[in-house]
Amino acid sequence: MGPLIPLHIIPETWNHVIAVLLGMAFGFIMESSGFSSSRKIVGLFYGYDFTVLRVFFTATVVTAIGLYYFSYMGWIDMSFVYIHPTYLTAAIVGGLIMGLGFVSGGYCPGTSLIGAAIGRIDGIVFTTGLMIGIFLFSEAFPVLEGIYEGTGMFDGDFLGYITITEYFNISPHLFIFGFTVVAVAAFYFTNLIRKRVKPVNY
Amino acid sequence: MSKRYFILGAVLIIVAFGLVLLPDSVNKDQVPPEKLLKEIMSQSRYISPDLVASRMIDEDPSIFLVDVRSAEEYSTYSLPGALNIPLENLLDNEWKPYLEQTGVDVVLISNDNLYAEQAWVLCTRSGYKNIYVLKGGLNQWFADIMQPQMPAPTEPAEAFDLYTFRKGASKYFGGGSDDQMVTSNKSESLPVIQRTKKSAAAGGC
Repeated sequence: MGPLIPLHIIPETWNHVIAVLLGMAFGFIMESSGFSSSRKIVGLFYGYDFTVLRVFFTATVVTAIGLYYFSYMGWIDMSFVYIHPTYLTAAIVGGLIMGLGFVSGGYCPGTSLIGAAIGRIDGIVFTTGLMIGIFLFSEAFPVLEGIYEGTGMFDGDFLGYITITEYFNISPHLFIFGFTVVAVAAFYFTNLIRKRVKPVNY
Repeated sequence: MSKRYFILGAVLIIVAFGLVLLPDSVNKDQVPPEKLLKEIMSQSRYISPDLVASRMIDEDPSIFLVDVRSAEEYSTYSLPGALNIPLENLLDNEWKPYLEQTGVDVVLISNDNLYAEQAWVLCTRSGYKNIYVLKGGLNQWFADIMQPQMPAPTEPAEAFDLYTFRKGASKYFGGGSDDQMVTSNKSESLPVIQRTKKSAAAGGC
């Protein structure tokens, strides 16, 4: 029966309304997890706070397990679920830029909006920088088009709407199980690390 | 670390392990019985050998032949361009894009109606559209197209027109007489019309 919007069970016009509601819920959960603090977020990078890892690993594992049970029950058609297309060079370059901005600014795009929304000055500065970045990218797009669309000298970058399990031809169920084990192990070991390092006040 | 975290971690691993134990998902979408019964009662699923022959001669791209017999029977004789999907493998995911589409008419072929009709019921229950059965199967195909019988002199002109067509079709498909029978097991692959992926909204962190 699902996904609800691509199969027109919920009309397309509700798309943005639902997006806003989900966005508010997302922001609320992020803020209540403490993600409006840039120091908490970069704590993962410096090794004194692993909340980011816990929240995102938990979210990913719960979603993956839930989706595949839904798929088994016939409640969702996985072939309609959006898969982000893979452009190899663009993903690597973009990942580096994003990581650099992430660790130096202390926010990722979503959390910077949360920081700005509750009035944190670093959040507001980061969001402003984000907008400037979007503007510069848009203006420079003709130059960057090749890398963005996998054309020209980046021909062959486009790997399609591919997932890890399809690429390596392994069962998604097995992969999710392995991923869950890794996640729970990561929770355990990061907790050990957290106990050893000097607590940081922020 | 509190006990709660151990319990939650254990629950996650157990639930994920449950996924590994799940059998391959089964298609639970089925056509409601009333609708299926109505379609079974209707004769509209049959397509005559004459119509199939004329569409094949016209090289109509919207007709797609599927031979549901076993691979040995298929390699002995089949219609030109037919794809072999043995009845027991009909619902494998491999064949889904060929059968679940809206662009072409799929014609199911077996020696007579029996297997093709079983395949038709399976396809229809799965909700596939434009599925037809070659009426009388390959036996009827041989009787009508490959070795057409000259109508009696008292029969109407239409019967003679049909006979002329069948004679031509017989030549086209290499029929005529028993000793001249040409077998063809060439399987051309017709363009597969796959459902286009509808995209949902992209998201990110």
